[in-house]
Amino acid sequence: MARIVGIDLGTTNSLVAYIDPQTGAPKCIPGPSGSTLCPSVVSIDPDGSIIVGEPARRRLLTQPERTIYSVKRLMGRGVADIQDELKLFPFRIDPTSKNVIRVRLGDKFFTAPEISAFILRELKNWAEAYFGESVSRAVVTVPAYFNDAQRQATKDAGKLAGLEVLRLVNEPTAAALAYGLHEKQRGYVAVYDFGGGTFDISVLKLISTREGDIYQVLSTNGDTHLGGDDIDNLLQAFVHEKILQQHRVDFSPHSELAQELRKELIAIKHQLSESESATLRFPLPNGAIFVQEFERGAFEALIRPIVDRTMGPVRQALADAKLKPSEIEEVVLVGGATRTPLIRHAVREYFDRKPHTELNPDEVVALGAAVQANILDRGVSNMLLLDVTPLSLGIETYGGAVAKVIPRNSTIPASAQETYTTGVDNQTGIDIHVLQGERELAKDCRSLARFTLKVPPAPAGLPRIEVKFLIDANGILQVGAKDTRTGEQRTIEVQPSYGISDTEIERMLEESIEYAEQDFAERQAIEARTEAEIILAATQKAFHNPQAASLTHAERENIDAAVAALKESVSGNDYKLIRRRIDELNQATMHLAELLMNSAVSTALQGRKLAEV
Amino acid sequence: MLFGLPRKLWIEMSALEKKFLQLSWKLHPDKFVNASAEEQELSLKRSSELNDAYRVLRDPVARVEYLLELEGMRKEGEHKQQAPPELLEEVFELNESLDELREAKASGGDLASLKTRLESAEKSFQVKLGEVDARLQETARQWDAAIDADASDTDRKGIMARLNELLNRRSYIRNLVTNVQKEVL
Repeated sequence: MARIVGIDLGTTNSLVAYIDPQTGAPKCIPGPSGSTLCPSVVSIDPDGSIIVGEPARRRLLTQPERTIYSVKRLMGRGVADIQDELKLFPFRIDPTSKNVIRVRLGDKFFTAPEISAFILRELKNWAEAYFGESVSRAVVTVPAYFNDAQRQATKDAGKLAGLEVLRLVNEPTAAALAYGLHEKQRGYVAVYDFGGGTFDISVLKLISTREGDIYQVLSTNGDTHLGGDDIDNLLQAFVHEKILQQHRVDFSPHSELAQELRKELIAIKHQLSESESATLRFPLPNGAIFVQEFERGAFEALIRPIVDRTMGPVRQALADAKLKPSEIEEVVLVGGATRTPLIRHAVREYFDRKPHTELNPDEVVALGAAVQANILDRGVSNMLLLDVTPLSLGIETYGGAVAKVIPRNSTIPASAQETYTTGVDNQTGIDIHVLQGERELAKDCRSLARFTLKVPPAPAGLPRIEVKFLIDANGILQVGAKDTRTGEQRTIEVQPSYGISDTEIERMLEESIEYAEQDFAERQAIEARTEAEIILAATQKAFHNPQAASLTHAERENIDAAVAALKESVSGNDYKLIRRRIDELNQATMHLAELLMNSAVSTALQGRKLAEV
Repeated sequence: MLFGLPRKLWIEMSALEKKFLQLSWKLHPDKFVNASAEEQELSLKRSSELNDAYRVLRDPVARVEYLLELEGMRKEGEHKQQAPPELLEEVFELNESLDELREAKASGGDLASLKTRLESAEKSFQVKLGEVDARLQETARQWDAAIDADASDTDRKGIMARLNELLNRRSYIRNLVTNVQKEVL
């Protein structure tokens, strides 16, 4: 069975990891540059080719119109949801898009799952280059507080990238898995995960049983639109205002100048984690230079409200787990933003203990995803993860109220059954509206889906349709229905309120899969050709060695034939054929290689005393 | 019957947890990733049933509701929301204070004294909630004793009627408390 990788699809950076079979430890896979971080940035060339990662990030400054970052903020959301973000992020939204947002990149429009798929495909390529074989299955992490639509969008992105997403794992839970291996701790653990665009808090119980270790999530909470990005936005707004006051220079938040400033401010933010002050010198188009001194204290006062916003979810998660801060034995910090001293201090203060920061906060989620991938791959193992659904599932009832059928923090998979009947004679359909959220009115909750149950004509109150709502181990809703009078099972076509329909996905897939296979084959062919050239050159060189003279005539003919066959295959694109011919040439030159080896050894040994050997 | 428990209301929580974890090892979908589609489907069904059952059984109030539903004494959606007679006066006062608070919020009046009044009302209802919970526990013990003694149907029905009434009262007071908490926040 093919290998399963773990992927952290982050707001700022994405990573891919696997379990090293030698050490049994999770490890992040580096990309071509040697770094394990793939910036979650996508850019499109005028000729339509897609650029992902560091090269795309550099183009944020030179070609912001053709480049997009932080696309995770758009996953599973509708146009009405993101009005606030639009003031801060340079997303160019297709004005005709409704429930599924489409953004413009160059002269084309893409949905958020399509753009995320480009990032996933890049990571898939990294892994394939690393293993030298195709990778088609993955565990992908999501913020614990992601709702159904956001999870479905992530799964869709995987599908579009040619990856079967075997499991969506919550990011803080993944981090706990990575730390669990590392620390072998027991008891209650809190994971505080402050990433680029999302904040999560999860409370877990680590239990040893005879069968192995269980990681049971007790509660989770968070904010899917609160992250390090918000700190950058605050800094940017602050400096923007200062520049306007002092130099009368105004610029659009979408301009290249704004991107340049943002980059500088992120550097300042990082500096302030290490030192007490930092200075910004920013050249303006009018030739002036804007100078601003930042003291850590002032910076902390500026970002304090953001840090405070994380504490509400923290308190709620503990209350839901029925625990006091002092009962938490270990606290784990995850996400790049937790390098900020103020955040570390706030967490330490609240729990009254020093948080764990041993693992690289950028890598820990991907490492945990690899651990979960390994658990799934082996089927039976000595670890088990029991996660929860972050939001209550409800059904709209009479008067726009919501009846909760699966409460938040229920262990998943979880289900609920509701029986429906008709209100008038010969009614042929019952409308059902499924929602997610904690508020009491439907209009304040997140709409997941609406559908109509078909009912055979009968007197009012006679039909009995049992509807089963099931949240699977990925936190994604499935709906099934049964007519309890006839026993007839029926599947329900659920059109998601904020998502891409199945037919739409199929169409996108048809477009993308062709590319994917072509991509993989092409890359494999390039690699095989390079290898063929190396071995052909080596064979040619070997013939000049005096030892080659001792080959038999038949051996020599064999080698010549294999060389000709390999040369012929290299002109084509069939990487499997090239590899086979390489193997054949290797077979043919086995004796030649031995001869060369012996001569090399005897040359090396000549002139040495026996005792030295 | 996943847990194989008798229809009693007192459950030893650590034994329940142990059983839940044991069954989780066997049923969880993570254990069936490379299995057939049928097995995966079955694991999803069985593990969701396990989690649903555990969610109900570990919550003492949900457990009583579940028992009454099993025994056909409580039907979904039929929960009475009437004020218990002896609470009528206090509920009336509470609702008045809530109205005043809403008005004051709208017109920018004096909130502080209203809030204090509501908070003390909330405390009083919290105490009542505690009393209901104590009576619920006591009645649950009577139920278990009735099962052990193999009591008559009439006796059992009597206890269940009392449990049902206590549940209604509890959910009524709980709603009051939640409403107050929402307005005071």
